[in-house]
Amino acid sequence: MKTFMNKIQAVSLVSLALISFGVCVVAQEPQATPPPPAAPRSVQLPRPVEKTLPNGLRIVVVQRSEMPLVTARLLIKSGGEVDSNDLAGGADMTAALLTRGTTTRSATQIAEQIEALGGFINSSAGWDSSNVSLDVLSARIGPAMEIFADVVRNPAFKEEEITRLRTQYLNNLAVSLGQPGALARFAAARIIYRDAPYGHPLSGTPESLPRIKRDDIARIHGTFYRPDNAILVIGGDMTAENGFALAQKYFGDWPKPANELPKVQIVTPVSEAKNRRILVIDMPDAGQAAVLAVRTAINRNSPDYFRGIVSNAILSGYSGRLNWEIRVKRGLSYGAGSSLDTRRWAGSFSASAQTKNESGAEVAALTLDEVAKLASGDVAETELKPRKASLIGGFARALETNNGLVSQVGSLALYGLGLDEINKFVANVEMVKPADIKRFAAANLNTDSTSLVVVGDAKKFLPALQKQFAQVEVIPVAELDLNSASLRRAISKN
Amino acid sequence: MRRSFLMIACASLVIAGTVFSATSQTKMPQLIFRDRTLPNGLRVLSAVDKSSPSVAINVWYHVGSKDDPDQRSGFAHLFEHIMFKSTKNMKAEMMDRLTEDVGGNNNAFTEDDVTVYYETIPSNYLETLLWAEAERLASLTIDEGNFVSERAVVQEEYRQSILAPPYGKFFYALQQKSFNAHPYKRPTIGSIEDLQAATVENVKKFHSTYYRPDNATLIVVGDFDSQQLDKWVDKYFASIPKPNLPLPRVSVKEDARTGEKRFTEYGSNNVKLPAVGITYLVPSQKSEDSAALTMADVILSQGRSSRLYQSLVYQQVVAQSVNSNADLKEDAGLFYLTAILAQGKKPAEAESALLAEVQKLQDTPVSAAELEKAKNQVIASQLRQRETNLGKSQALGSAAVLLGDPKRVNTELDKLQAVTAADVQRVAKKYFTPENRYVFTYLPESARSTSATSQQDRTNDPVKGGSR
Repeated sequence: MKTFMNKIQAVSLVSLALISFGVCVVAQEPQATPPPPAAPRSVQLPRPVEKTLPNGLRIVVVQRSEMPLVTARLLIKSGGEVDSNDLAGGADMTAALLTRGTTTRSATQIAEQIEALGGFINSSAGWDSSNVSLDVLSARIGPAMEIFADVVRNPAFKEEEITRLRTQYLNNLAVSLGQPGALARFAAARIIYRDAPYGHPLSGTPESLPRIKRDDIARIHGTFYRPDNAILVIGGDMTAENGFALAQKYFGDWPKPANELPKVQIVTPVSEAKNRRILVIDMPDAGQAAVLAVRTAINRNSPDYFRGIVSNAILSGYSGRLNWEIRVKRGLSYGAGSSLDTRRWAGSFSASAQTKNESGAEVAALTLDEVAKLASGDVAETELKPRKASLIGGFARALETNNGLVSQVGSLALYGLGLDEINKFVANVEMVKPADIKRFAAANLNTDSTSLVVVGDAKKFLPALQKQFAQVEVIPVAELDLNSASLRRAISKN
Repeated sequence: MRRSFLMIACASLVIAGTVFSATSQTKMPQLIFRDRTLPNGLRVLSAVDKSSPSVAINVWYHVGSKDDPDQRSGFAHLFEHIMFKSTKNMKAEMMDRLTEDVGGNNNAFTEDDVTVYYETIPSNYLETLLWAEAERLASLTIDEGNFVSERAVVQEEYRQSILAPPYGKFFYALQQKSFNAHPYKRPTIGSIEDLQAATVENVKKFHSTYYRPDNATLIVVGDFDSQQLDKWVDKYFASIPKPNLPLPRVSVKEDARTGEKRFTEYGSNNVKLPAVGITYLVPSQKSEDSAALTMADVILSQGRSSRLYQSLVYQQVVAQSVNSNADLKEDAGLFYLTAILAQGKKPAEAESALLAEVQKLQDTPVSAAELEKAKNQVIASQLRQRETNLGKSQALGSAAVLLGDPKRVNTELDKLQAVTAADVQRVAKKYFTPENRYVFTYLPESARSTSATSQQDRTNDPVKGGSR
């Protein structure tokens, strides 16, 4: 057993080095301050390499071979933003249907064949892109890529699969619409983007989904799924040479249509004080209130991008100001945070938390206060430095998996940014100064033009909220309409 | 989200530590590790991987929600939150200063059998974090204000995971009512009332009872020098005394079930689609049958080619989603089958569709191709878990603490690869019997008075006082 010696002085590393295994270790009082870090080692990130096939398909390969796994992702540079309001969910249904049958494989065969290879394949639309993702053991990449290319190029869009998928989407919506957090996000998009693209729920509404017909789906596929509107990213246990060869084999003869790729230009509203809304969705059975502050923000190619994400990091993350004030100091939520969702045409900023219904108004006030303070107060270097470290650490951790690596590289490629940005991230974050944050927040995160949504049992927080805001709109959940900017059914029930 | 508890609703994502090694085409890289135990009983497992300048640290304490004190359901998890508050030499939230502020992160989780704390940090901070982990093992301090505030956080966590999501109460009831005697019947998150009743005194007692070096396993995976690690571990952990008191262990055994029971549970009126669940009592994860039960789980519900998806979601469209889960634990476990219904479908339809799939497993051996597919899925998911230092460290912890031998991190996959079609059929026949079946129907509150089923199939509530 151990001998205890009350010795305050910590032994030095040199003396510890003299103690060998099996010999009694000299015990001491624990030292009162944490030992300082050693010198850091620099990070080596894998380098993406790329080429473009004659048909316009851009190929990016990023090799990392520690695990015998490969992720391949095809990004179509068009997503849910191409949907009209009436046909909201069309792009996502189109993407999802790719894996639900090709001209030579049924939906079940696709799933069986990919899963037999230890893989999975998923397809869906996001904003600004539609994706097909394959994750597979690297020894099986050949047969898996054949199926992957088949679903991208030869989807059957059978009526029975469309019907089945629509039913699934409607069922999924029925579940989502029972959750205060999901409802708040749906409503927030309508508040800031109104009837413009990005305003509708990505996977449609109960009203739009039944309107989407096979012709609409075939039109979306025919218009946007073409090699000169696509990027193939392959990451993991795969050399560039092999990756390019696979791409050539399965996508080299994917014909580029003769017609021009349609030019899409999207204009979206900008959050201004005059169109600010303070909206309560009354959901009497909600087990918690979801509080969400939201506004439009910068797009992905803005020169303010790094100032934006550092500003957001001051507010968000475990030790960010929002979680600190709402969770750590006051115990009002399991977690509070914010996000800067930059997109091609217009991004959004949101700050959110869920709390017991009784605290809904208090959390709303705290949330807006913290956002406002970013523009009015100064961020000390002592606060900025750890928040930058946290942001950089999160970025590096996300790159640890093939999936994370492919996502990050794919996002740079999608927005036309240099792939070496991945290696400049740290320097770009470090460049942001306290004054930049104040300026960014004043110009982009003004709370006078930031809207607020609270979804929950309104009787428990509405009176307090009405003391804070002159005009609070209340929509009973049964009268909520996600199809229009008003969010209210034109003819209310009863 | 951080400092999470794991319950069955999400446990299917965490089939940690049940598998590994090789198949015909893909080799599972062996995880080479060192295993040493200090004289005070602390076990230290370490594996070097210098591919990135980061290190994952885990400390597994062999105490979980099954060890919650009487009338204090949720306590082990609440305690886990308190471990991020102050120690003799650390102010509250200093763990975050030492991790998040330097580009790392930290978190912890509580399960039925274990509580696990972990950090991922730049490797030059390894010594700092070993010091910090030793601090909270040896000298946790509790301040009333911090305790009350963190308890409120956990109550919000309860609301966020059980009350706000439409199916929170469903998964909660499945665990709570599937055990009759074993403390596994206490859901890890506990109840608002039991959490409210917890005191600072409870915290002190729990720490001195369970947080001791001979009940802990320290795991370090990543960029470090082994000799240097040993020195730091000795420096910071070796002087922590091993208490003379015995470690209390749960000895309650869950008796075999003796007949079907049926329950009807009610969620809020935000439950737009009813759900059904079936649980079977199954043996410990150390049992010889655990590999075959795990393969049955994969065959039933992993991926869109799985049997439950194909049958209930794709062909019959009776369910919005389906799942199965071999939730194997240190003591008795549960095999779950769940379905959230499609619109317009009746719980009875989903129940019989689930039971038809069970019957199929019992009547006909799975084909060689289907079994091979399931094995490939298992290998691939284990490989994905091991892409990161954190994943590797958790695989090691799970093998060492839950399976009792860290070497099983490299041998479990062989067991899964050895499972035959006859094994799957045998365990299906052995455990998926009507006598061993509890069936749950989940409806919105508004159905309570109007639904005939709510009257007819309600049996005695098997949950006794302790769990509330």
